[in-house]
Amino acid sequence: MADDKQQHDRRVFSCTTCDFTVDYHYKGRKPPFANCILLHEECYVLKDPFSTSGGFVTVGGLCSMCNRDVCLSNGCSLFYTQRFCTNCSVKHIQEFPHELQQEIMHKLKS
Amino acid sequence: METNQSIHFSSSSSELSDNDTVTNYESQFSNHGKRKRKRSRSAGADKDCQLGHKHSRHLSEEHKHYHSHSHKRKLKKMKHKHHKSKHGHIDKECKHQHKHRTEASDQDSNSDISDSEKEKKIQKKSQSSSERKNLLDSNPDTETLDYNFDFSKYKASLSRMFFRENFFSKIAIRGSQEHDDFWNFVNKFVEFQRKKAEKSKDAKVQLGAESGQLNLPKVFDVSYKINISFISKDFDVFFKKNRLVDYQLEKELSRGRVLQFRSIILHYLDFQQKQKFQKIYKICKDQRELPIYQHKETIIQMLQKYQVIVVAGDTGCGKSTQVPQYLLEAGYHKIACTQPRRIACISLAKRVGYETLNEYGSEVAYQVRFEKSKTQSTRILFLTEGLLLRQMKTDPLLEMYNIIIIDEVHERHVNTDFLLGVLKCVIKQRSDLKLVLMSATININLFSNYFNGAPVLKVPGRLYPIELEYCPVKTDDSVDSKRLDPRPYINIMQRIDHKHPSTERGDLLIFLSGMSEIMAVVEAAKAYAQKTKRWIVLPLHSALSIEEQDKVFDYAPDGVRKCVVSTNIAETSVTIDGVRFIVDSGKVKEMSFDPKFKMQKLQEFWISRASSEQRKGRAGRTGPGVCYRLYDESDYNSFDEYSTPELQRVPLDSLILQMISMGLPDARKFPFIEPPNMSSVENSIIFLKEQAALASDESLTPIGQMLSMLPVDVVIGKMLIMGSIFNMIDPILSITAAMSVQSPFTNRAYTDHDALVARKPLESEHGDPFTLLNAFDEWIQVKAQGQGTRKWCKRRGLEEQRFYEMTKLKRQFKDLLKDHHLLDREEATARYMSSDERRAQHGERKKLNELRKEKMKDNKRRKFLTLEDEEFKVSDEEGDINKGDDIKDLEFRLSNDLNQLQETSNKSRNFTLRDINLMKIILCSGLYPQVAIPDECNTYRRDTEQTFHTKSKPFVLLHPTSIFASHPDLLTPKYLEHKKLSQSELKGLFSSKHELLAYVSLLETNNKPYLVNAMKVPALQTVTLFSNSIDTNADCTRLIFDSWLEFKFKDALTAEKVISSVIQLRSTWHSLLLVRLKDTFEGLEEDRRISTRARQLERILASKLTEFLNADFLYSIRRVLAAEMQRAYVGPGKVTDQGTAAMFDKILKVNSMGKEHPIKGGIQVTDYLTFNCLLDDASASVWGEFTQGMQRFWKCPLCGQSMLVNVLERLQHEAVCSSEGGQGLEQLQVEDSEKISELNPLRKSYFCTECNKELSLTTTEILKHKKTHLAT
Repeated sequence: MADDKQQHDRRVFSCTTCDFTVDYHYKGRKPPFANCILLHEECYVLKDPFSTSGGFVTVGGLCSMCNRDVCLSNGCSLFYTQRFCTNCSVKHIQEFPHELQQEIMHKLKS
Repeated sequence: METNQSIHFSSSSSELSDNDTVTNYESQFSNHGKRKRKRSRSAGADKDCQLGHKHSRHLSEEHKHYHSHSHKRKLKKMKHKHHKSKHGHIDKECKHQHKHRTEASDQDSNSDISDSEKEKKIQKKSQSSSERKNLLDSNPDTETLDYNFDFSKYKASLSRMFFRENFFSKIAIRGSQEHDDFWNFVNKFVEFQRKKAEKSKDAKVQLGAESGQLNLPKVFDVSYKINISFISKDFDVFFKKNRLVDYQLEKELSRGRVLQFRSIILHYLDFQQKQKFQKIYKICKDQRELPIYQHKETIIQMLQKYQVIVVAGDTGCGKSTQVPQYLLEAGYHKIACTQPRRIACISLAKRVGYETLNEYGSEVAYQVRFEKSKTQSTRILFLTEGLLLRQMKTDPLLEMYNIIIIDEVHERHVNTDFLLGVLKCVIKQRSDLKLVLMSATININLFSNYFNGAPVLKVPGRLYPIELEYCPVKTDDSVDSKRLDPRPYINIMQRIDHKHPSTERGDLLIFLSGMSEIMAVVEAAKAYAQKTKRWIVLPLHSALSIEEQDKVFDYAPDGVRKCVVSTNIAETSVTIDGVRFIVDSGKVKEMSFDPKFKMQKLQEFWISRASSEQRKGRAGRTGPGVCYRLYDESDYNSFDEYSTPELQRVPLDSLILQMISMGLPDARKFPFIEPPNMSSVENSIIFLKEQAALASDESLTPIGQMLSMLPVDVVIGKMLIMGSIFNMIDPILSITAAMSVQSPFTNRAYTDHDALVARKPLESEHGDPFTLLNAFDEWIQVKAQGQGTRKWCKRRGLEEQRFYEMTKLKRQFKDLLKDHHLLDREEATARYMSSDERRAQHGERKKLNELRKEKMKDNKRRKFLTLEDEEFKVSDEEGDINKGDDIKDLEFRLSNDLNQLQETSNKSRNFTLRDINLMKIILCSGLYPQVAIPDECNTYRRDTEQTFHTKSKPFVLLHPTSIFASHPDLLTPKYLEHKKLSQSELKGLFSSKHELLAYVSLLETNNKPYLVNAMKVPALQTVTLFSNSIDTNADCTRLIFDSWLEFKFKDALTAEKVISSVIQLRSTWHSLLLVRLKDTFEGLEEDRRISTRARQLERILASKLTEFLNADFLYSIRRVLAAEMQRAYVGPGKVTDQGTAAMFDKILKVNSMGKEHPIKGGIQVTDYLTFNCLLDDASASVWGEFTQGMQRFWKCPLCGQSMLVNVLERLQHEAVCSSEGGQGLEQLQVEDSEKISELNPLRKSYFCTECNKELSLTTTEILKHKKTHLAT
């Protein structure tokens, strides 16, 4: 069975909007385990747990307005050139193109 | 940095790709190339990367950085570029900044953000977005790329350009899942875009959301929603040079097209990310919704305070999957979680591994009897209770764990109770070990009190309200009480039809006690269903084939309900969703164990209140439900509170053996949570002594030690050991495997006439174990011939699944024997495979994967039933082959060498009578004393009942599934075949052909005791070799075995021969066993082969045994009644004869065993043989005394010594002589073969081609020998 030592560096991402939490492996734009991938924002990244052949999953980022940790779920955040938490996107809904305004309204409802 | 850039600016340009852009790209590229050279000198890749990140956030840092690294005059340009590097979409606009410099920036005026850097950045952005708007406006003749381009035609080139990177390598492999997924996506995406483009052809570009502090681009573009990009060197090269360095691209792949494709890849990556994220998100969300989640903190806190806690929660509260995870999160990392069932270990490890995002790691693992996924990094281990107990043999304090969870304690299996007792002791010695008991909300205080009032946490399950109604059945005496009256059940179906509109979904589940009851109700319910067309009636019990069982999970069509008629299997083991109505008969048939007769009993009982509640709960799993109880509330109140724990219902042999081997010598004193019946303990100890597993002081014998290491039943274990010793292992493995799984013969096998006829060739006249062997071997043959085994099985009423299980078990038994050095490890016989075979195997592997994939899809969507589904028809078409079977077939072919299997099965087809007899002896070594003697009045005619007597249970019947039940004529003794004998003639008839039935178990159903799995065995040989006590009269012509079977010989000479053979055989057998077991224990460190000495002994024993089995001794056989036995013995101190008394002293010096037996009288020659302790009939006794004292000259065949001895002295000499390790017998054999040929001049050398042996025989003997081959 595993030794005590292995229990170090557990890094946990928690979404500030919902109660989603998950252990992540990397935070940044260039996950070391996905060599040619580059992200347009700083993300919380996991090694792909559903595959044996590498890969990655982004689970969360920071809202570019309020700087809070938010997960990528539809209810919590939106990416449009940068990440916005639902709160901030609602606050500034007028600035989004029409296509997104609908989406944001929908988020608000759910 | 530069790589970053190249990606960014081109990332999502496809939508924009007008000529202008392209030229711009070019210029960018050249710039970028220059910078590359410079920058690469100043900063390493890592740093670049970091810088890249910073840029996005803090523009000012960029400035600083570039001041230090580049020329000032370049700064302006660089700034633009770096800005671009942040976001691809912005880059696009940036490119045109020069052009549109004059454009006024629509500006935010009142920024709330205090961060001045941020403001700057935002300004830039808004500027660029406005520029983009202009750009679009100013380029009305933009070349728009349509979506009519077929990218899949250029797979090779595109793969070449984009998928050479490691990250994408899987997509490049044709035939891989990733490849297929990607190209499917490409096609769908292009299709989607095309349709979209058509729709919005006329639609105007929507412009102008308000501008504000976010500075978002004004024109919507999907690609802005993607936060991902990637690097591709080849793409960069293509863009710079418009070609690849080492590859010729098709003309059609213009820059625009390549960019378009790049954009598709980005969409794919984004889509994939979203999918995976959703999966993780859902896991987390589902976990939060489980009732147990509310108690997470409480559990952790309780464990910090207490050493033992009890978590009680009903089905569906999530305790089994969540609690181990909570503990892991809390910092425990050597977690063991026990399960009563193997299958649960595997599925839970899978589930928890998935939930902890560790599906492919081994952090969460399982370990069961024959399989494990455990590694060094395992933190949560799911294992069976039995295995944890076994681990205590090497790790008595379980120091490899720091927390142990025992799940499903309420099920109270034997091992659960045992484990609880052992752990109660262990935690006293290990204060750091924590213990979590998890149970349903049943009898919680029992567990809590057992661990000195351990705290209990109750978690409510997720149940909807259930309406309860008692509808007691009035017992109607006019109806035959034996058969269940189905009318009350139909009434309830009618009531449901009446009360609930058929549009309201919800199925019915009926709990009945047993199979015949189910059939009665199913029959009536089907008739009702035919009338109403509103029901599909499905039976559910363990004797159904898997396929039939699985039907209960399928959906009923609209307006039709399922009516599942089930045993208590649906109470816990099988969970059917969508059940809304329950009918509870309140009855259960349960196996109990009668230790007195070692007989299992299937009896009908009232259920306990606990299981009655459990049954009710099955209605409220998916919505509110109704439960009808077909008994009175007062009945309910009089029910037992809980069901009887298994410990009180089953034989305890294995348990006690294991206890002793674990160093718990006295099972009587073990602190069981609820102690078993003491007589059950005592009986098991006696049984183990009979099996020679325990010595008289209840310590382990070598064989007991061996048996305790094999995780199988004592009886099976003994057969395996003997089988390996006699080199008969393959058929024995098949038979033991068949005995250990459920019978492959389905219910239908005994009712369907066609199946009966088709199965006829499989039946063996020797008995049921051999019929099983035949069926298994034939199945292998059919498989090897490449025919459809499924159809073959169906025709014969066999359940194929059982054969797969047998194959698996067989291999596992074999590994077990090898592990314990009872079987030689086969040399790694890398069988030569031709390229054709290899190709075929490869093809099969591939097909297997495909089928598995398809099956996965299939499993997700359950099938819809049709009204005809309740008729289970045997279809003769091969077309209905189901994927699951194909998978099993292929798995089987890949994991077994069919050729080899066929070879061994061919061998078993060619068994000689001698082989079969040897096999019978091996099986009996485990089964004895489970033998029965036929009643003298048996007629052996069909349609009459044949009765048998076991030692403890007279008048036992043949189980209807036995071959002998359908063909009693097979049991006709040889001496009755040709002539009729009267009963008086039969009594005491001398014959060499007396036979007994050895059986695997005794089962009582409907108050009738049955022999299950019976086979014919030669009476004399079986009993003499395995009985625990043999009592003789003065000249050994009368023998009583195990105080219940009496054999008489016609003359003293035969008697002597028999007795001396038995002594020799048994002692050789014993010493062989010792040698082999010694080899085994010593060989543990080294892969040692079986010693030559053992091999030699084996050979001798086998040939002597054959001789003994073939010998034609004339004897009579009789069952001695218990009353008779009271007067059978001489008793101690009755030896009056002076001569004998004198002899005594002489003997005592010779043999320590030669003592007078304290109860029986007579002389105890060996531990099993007591000489001259039987009282003879008056007439014989005179003669007996005479012969007993009479001395004769006798030459010991073992040591060759000549001496003047009487019968007793001779026996004692033989016992001593042969117990010296069988050497005597070895010599004897050598001498024998020489002497025999000397003695009989008529004998000549004969080579038998059948048995491949050089023999020395007379002409008549040769004929006889040939005949033995013919006989089989």
